[in-house]
Amino acid sequence: MSRLRRAFATGLRVRALRRLYRIYLQEKTPQARGLRLLRSWLTPRQRAEFDSEGQFEVVGSDSGKRYRISYGTSANVHEVDRAGRLGAGLCFMPEGGLVAGDVMLAQKIALETCEKSTLALANRFPPLLFSSRRGQG
Amino acid sequence: MAVQIVLDVTGDTRSYFDTNDAESLAEAERRFKELTGRGFIAAVRSGPDEVLRIHHFDPGVEETLFFPRLVGG
Repeated sequence: MSRLRRAFATGLRVRALRRLYRIYLQEKTPQARGLRLLRSWLTPRQRAEFDSEGQFEVVGSDSGKRYRISYGTSANVHEVDRAGRLGAGLCFMPEGGLVAGDVMLAQKIALETCEKSTLALANRFPPLLFSSRRGQG
Repeated sequence: MAVQIVLDVTGDTRSYFDTNDAESLAEAERRFKELTGRGFIAAVRSGPDEVLRIHHFDPGVEETLFFPRLVGG
């Protein structure tokens, strides 16, 4: 019974978050404009991932490796292995203190168009201790 | 109308130009050179699932995005 209650509460929370996200997207702040621009440049699959999970995957232009870009402005990119587990983290961003959506868009374009030179300048950090597969929290 | 979108600390700045007007095109090309000369990276969408980095002004592109050079964090 308590499991059912928890699932119900989680469902309510997710719906509330989505509602807030939709409202946020309608605002005219730089943050909201950045998110709208990011969404417009994502592929349909990436957009669906971002809308449901707040993160999306890209494929590196040189190695074909997968990377996950999470909402944020730094230390928000991770390698993803074949099993979907998060690997090493990569820290790189455009100069100048851009808002999160703009940073994520620049990171996506960099990995999808010039992966090697992007990796050369990125700082690496160890994988998360409790890495999880997509959708398993 | 085509557009050049520049990402910076204030958000995004959009400059629209008429691809059929020589003066407007020249202004867009000048802006392209000025931004890439300052280290901005220019990218375009070449298909629904594909993004390309470009190094030269292309008058046929409808939307060009510029973001500042990347640095390690």
